[in-house]
Amino acid sequence: MLPILLAFATATLPAISLPADGPLAIRAKFVWTGGGRVLENATVVISGGRIQAVGTDIAIPEGAELIEHDGYLTAGMIALHGATGAVGETQDSTRTVMPEARVGLALDGRARDFGLLRDAGITSILVTPDASGVTGGTSALVKTLDGIVLRDPAHLSLVFSTDALSSNREPTSKSGALALLNALFTEPRGVAAEARSGKLPCLFEVREREDVGRALAFAAEHELVGTLHGAWLSGEMSGAIAKSGLSVIVPVLGVGTPKRVLDAVARLEKDGIVFGFGLDAPWNHADAMRFSAALCVRAGLGRQAAWQGLTANAAKIAGAAARTGRIERGLDADLCLWSGDPLDLASRASLVIIGGQPVSMNGAASAAKESQR
Amino acid sequence: MTFLSVALVALSVAQDAEPRAWTIQVERVYTGTGRNLEKGLVLVSAGKISAVTPGAGEEDDRPNDVLKAYAVTAGLVDAGVRVTNWQSVEQSKEVTPHLRVADTLDPFALDWDRQLRGGVTTVLASPVDRNVIGGLSVVLKTGGPESIADRTVKADAVLRGSMGSEPSAGNHPAFGRPTDFFSRRPTTRMGVEWEWRNAFFDTALNLNEEDPGRATLVAALQGKLPIFIQAWTTQDIRTAVFLREEVESRPEFAAAGMNTPRFVIDAAAEAWKEPQLLARSQTPVVLPPFPTAGRTRENSQMAWNVAKVLKDAGVPFALSSHGSGDVEQRLANQAGYAMAGGLGFEDALAAVTSTPARLLGVEDRVGTLEVGKDADLVLWSGEPFQPGTRVVATIVDGVLRYEGWNAVQGAAIAR
Repeated sequence: MLPILLAFATATLPAISLPADGPLAIRAKFVWTGGGRVLENATVVISGGRIQAVGTDIAIPEGAELIEHDGYLTAGMIALHGATGAVGETQDSTRTVMPEARVGLALDGRARDFGLLRDAGITSILVTPDASGVTGGTSALVKTLDGIVLRDPAHLSLVFSTDALSSNREPTSKSGALALLNALFTEPRGVAAEARSGKLPCLFEVREREDVGRALAFAAEHELVGTLHGAWLSGEMSGAIAKSGLSVIVPVLGVGTPKRVLDAVARLEKDGIVFGFGLDAPWNHADAMRFSAALCVRAGLGRQAAWQGLTANAAKIAGAAARTGRIERGLDADLCLWSGDPLDLASRASLVIIGGQPVSMNGAASAAKESQR
Repeated sequence: MTFLSVALVALSVAQDAEPRAWTIQVERVYTGTGRNLEKGLVLVSAGKISAVTPGAGEEDDRPNDVLKAYAVTAGLVDAGVRVTNWQSVEQSKEVTPHLRVADTLDPFALDWDRQLRGGVTTVLASPVDRNVIGGLSVVLKTGGPESIADRTVKADAVLRGSMGSEPSAGNHPAFGRPTDFFSRRPTTRMGVEWEWRNAFFDTALNLNEEDPGRATLVAALQGKLPIFIQAWTTQDIRTAVFLREEVESRPEFAAAGMNTPRFVIDAAAEAWKEPQLLARSQTPVVLPPFPTAGRTRENSQMAWNVAKVLKDAGVPFALSSHGSGDVEQRLANQAGYAMAGGLGFEDALAAVTSTPARLLGVEDRVGTLEVGKDADLVLWSGEPFQPGTRVVATIVDGVLRYEGWNAVQGAAIAR
């Protein structure tokens, strides 16, 4: 057993080589499981790409490499909105209704931009169709490594914001857009029919509260499940959202975001709505999502609620809670070691592991990994 | 006028507040039914008007909250409001009868508050007139829950369309330049009129079986759904009236049982020029706001006495703000201007309350101050519609939705 004290690992990568396949044990001062539990001085054992054990009295298996970490260990984060790997490929301006289009098929899973996400502790991303039409097709949840697909299709994208409209093609109006969506949902086959049966969740693209109102009415009329993305003030309608059973994806927030918006996010927690955070990578810095959550915590959102929004609840929203998002026996070993409290803006991801493989150390995608490309 | 206008405390007018029991004490109750009271009481409970009686100023042991003002009228009804934007009309086709403007409205928009400040409690919201037949308008309250559906008084109340130049503005033939979205019909007044007749004849002859708008057009031609046609100028008013008369007289429509349409001409600024034409067919009119200097939109001329002329000719008419947010063009001011043009107070009141309510088919709920009707009330600081008179409070469905800027200076609500 070779204890590796990560705290002393320097920027001279790869000074240490970590086993990709053999058993690995990580002992950390704080372990956030993502289920709301915080363990102190706990150990996580991984092998075969999965989490084998987690707890405070875990025996370290024979032959396992041990990492001692004087910091935090969490599940990897899941970014819930973006186009990494498919920039410019997630829409078709000649067609505004193309429900059967699949972002998952437009994706380059080995695009360099995924490295930026890995460095920030993001281990999966929901790649979403562009909102510039009425429906741009279906989203896909992929890991930020090698294009590993967790769920495809993940959602049917339905646009209720004015982004769907244009002055020079159909629809030009909100009523016209709604008429197109209603027509789509009368079709007996296809992804809309799957959405209607509840098999495929919908991603409701909204901006204003009026869009949220229209999306909720549409979801109720067609008995749809899924998640609302993009409305800063959706929390102000949390009563109606709670009734609908839909979840919420909070768009990227910044230091200039009004307090009213941050308060609205806190209301999502109070009213028991499952929520996660979007990133809109690669247009935003990979750290922006964690910073969004931190801003909400500063404004009163519960720390663990925020973290679950970045991990466990994000996995739920993306339909992959059985695979990733928590530190729990049987789940994929998608993990992140943090230099300090993950919701402290000064903290960095010290080591990022996807499917048991170390992929980024001290904010630099592992050179060993990169050199294979 | 010695009476101090109002005594309200600084109530926090909460959204979605429960309707309260109110006692409204005023010097003048203008019911809009011809029966007016001096020193009267209006009682409100459960969102409805529960009593209208004499007796303001007497001791009263009801547990109601008390509002005092100089006068009270029913909430104003604006048949021409457009709290909508360009995204309220689907311009990819010229004729979209089935699309609902209700699907495009924003319940959070600030326009609603503007309406409440002006004493307007019920409005007809219509798509912007960029299409020949733009779609279905909705009648809704200006105050209430933050949901269009919950504020709706009458869904699919009116089929909205337009004559004149606005539906063709910006369109052009494809010839000679790259094809774009606006390479489309119609490009002229004649083209606009042709689209109307085309839609009507196709419906009567059942040539548009596949068209999602057909059912709406059938209902309109059968008179089940009023047709509001914007027509500012005399030529456009004529075109609309002749269209109606054509539908009423041509055998194709009679054979299909579609020869009884109900037309209302909206924005009929030049109705004063040929009132007999409107009287002949008993076609009601909604007037646009009075312009400050003679000419208004479509280069039409609007006379100060237009309301008086229509009254004398026996043409039913309503006044409107036509969607303008301009303070000058508020509905209450239009009633004042119509009075300046010779119209009597009761007729001016009717033109902003009961007549538009009737044109919109919601007269059973709003438009007059009567027991059993919705408690939509406007409290005035003086004689309504006079230049120096303010709206001091607006109640919608028994909920105080607006209190005037001077209201907070009064004493606490008397109990």
